[in-house]
Amino acid sequence: MDETIAEFFKRTILKIPLTKMMTVLKAWDFLSESQLQTINFRQRKESLVQDLVQLCESKRASLHDAALLDIVYTQFHQQQKVWDVFQMSKEPGEDVDLFDMEQFKTSFEKILRRALKNVTVSFRDAEENSVWVRIAWGTQFRKPNQYKPVYVVYYAQTPYAFTSFCQLRSNMPLLLQALTVASNHHKIVKMDLRSRHLDSLKAIVFRQYNQTFETHNCTTPLQETLALDMHMDSRIIHENRIEKERVQRVTQETFGDYPQPRLEFAQYTLETKFKSEFHEGILAERKEPLRCLIKFSSPHLLEALKSLAPAGIADAPLSPLLTCIPNKAMNYFKIRDK
Amino acid sequence: TAGTLNLGLGVLAHLERLETQTNRSRKNLDPQTETAESALEAKIHKLRCLRDKLRAEVKERQARVKASTASVEPDQTLEVNEQEAVEGKQENMKAILQAYRFTGLSGKLTSRGVCVCISTAFEGNLLGSYFVDLVIQKPLRIHHHSIPVFIPLEEISAKYLQTNIQHFLFCLCEHLNAYAGRKYQADQLQSDFAGFLAGPLRRNSLCNLLSFTYKVEPHGQSFPFCARLLYKDLTTTLPTDVTITYQGTDALSTSWEEQRVCHENLFLTKPLHQVFTSFTRKGEKLDMSLVS
Repeated sequence: MDETIAEFFKRTILKIPLTKMMTVLKAWDFLSESQLQTINFRQRKESLVQDLVQLCESKRASLHDAALLDIVYTQFHQQQKVWDVFQMSKEPGEDVDLFDMEQFKTSFEKILRRALKNVTVSFRDAEENSVWVRIAWGTQFRKPNQYKPVYVVYYAQTPYAFTSFCQLRSNMPLLLQALTVASNHHKIVKMDLRSRHLDSLKAIVFRQYNQTFETHNCTTPLQETLALDMHMDSRIIHENRIEKERVQRVTQETFGDYPQPRLEFAQYTLETKFKSEFHEGILAERKEPLRCLIKFSSPHLLEALKSLAPAGIADAPLSPLLTCIPNKAMNYFKIRDK
Repeated sequence: TAGTLNLGLGVLAHLERLETQTNRSRKNLDPQTETAESALEAKIHKLRCLRDKLRAEVKERQARVKASTASVEPDQTLEVNEQEAVEGKQENMKAILQAYRFTGLSGKLTSRGVCVCISTAFEGNLLGSYFVDLVIQKPLRIHHHSIPVFIPLEEISAKYLQTNIQHFLFCLCEHLNAYAGRKYQADQLQSDFAGFLAGPLRRNSLCNLLSFTYKVEPHGQSFPFCARLLYKDLTTTLPTDVTITYQGTDALSTSWEEQRVCHENLFLTKPLHQVFTSFTRKGEKLDMSLVS
């Protein structure tokens, strides 16, 4: 095996935590069950990695196999990347999309190779007719850098694709062009939505975050649950019970009962003139708009926002700028004076 | 002082006048006021009688109710029967509302609008149900839904949601039923007729492009044909274009060529699984002919 490929295997396998090692290797499906049984998984990680690399070598594993392993690793550790969302569109009145996955893959790779000779493109089919694409960029004279790949997750016959943040940004326009053309679209636009949680982005963009629907088959009276909380201990009298119930009700109407999709931040860029009751002072007299950036961060932003009013930290209802996030599929806002 | 005296005199004179007036009215009763007074008195008397009568009636009814609750048996069963009848009607109504699903399009009012349920079916088989939760506001908007991501919901809403909601729902029903039908055919081919396939069935999310290699006889020596089915109309369950080719390089014999054309026609006019069922039957016929 080529030294660089062996090194690539070594570094990729080294990344995998011991607890997930078996799962990832099984998902990769390159080493058979019997072959994996010959390895001692209880030894020190460095020795384990060495054994695995030797095993791959004996099976004549190629760069392509290593790239697939990298995809599997990333699929199990999606949160390590920051994902952007792109929306594609067709010309109005275009033909119905007769999407062929094989055609898409061939077309995508062809477009990239036409522009850039040194590029590694790998595909792995995933659930719900989606495909994970891994691209390692090179230059005209240098081989592809396997340690800074970009990932694209595309859901077939939908206008949406997700890309991982790539440090080598100069090739992004080429990637987007390849994606658009190969998927039979005309235009591609970056959405103001970004998160480490790919499944949450998917839930927001495909509007799948709330899957409870009212039908005549279900009877779940919600009022009961509210009342229960209030009467837990009869020795406690809630003086502002009515207000508490109102806050609960408004929060439930805004956020629903389902788990919120997971975002880490919401960013508001303001370019507005200063508004004050007293029309005096340096700020009020300033003609140009003020520029400032407000960023809300949280391990789980939407759940945190949902708990603000019930915790008494904010008034209910919350500002629509905060509550519109999943509905508008944005967490980057630019606010200007109208 | 003269002025105040005059004022005082004037006041006294006024009071004197009022006094004589009252005395006169007490003695010489004005006929008009007299009749008015007696009329009012008569009215009061009548109202008092009515009040007493109503009071008596209330007491009577209360006594009757007490008497009836005292004798428990006959009245209680009457109540229970009534209650059962009402509950029965309620259950019946609930069942009817639940059964509305089978019409394909049903809904339930929500606090902000309506939740529409589209139940799909194909050839009498009930397939998946999909929901659209609508908020009734101006503009009408979709709150959340369970429509698959590859159904062009945004396109259909942009065209019809604001102007013609019936058409919006009809169009969506069409797309979903057609998708469910195509998916059903593809699933049937993969499960029940896998023996005919000489390779994997290639399909996409919308099941509007199917590509497979098949043999007419599952275990026989017959020719493998490559079929490519395109469904350009997303509201239909039959393909719009069918291309059947064969994998060899030699020219096809006339009989095979006839079969090829015949198959193209079959795929265009019949659902997938029915085509393969007919292949099975043909095979059976052949076997029978061999026996006899």
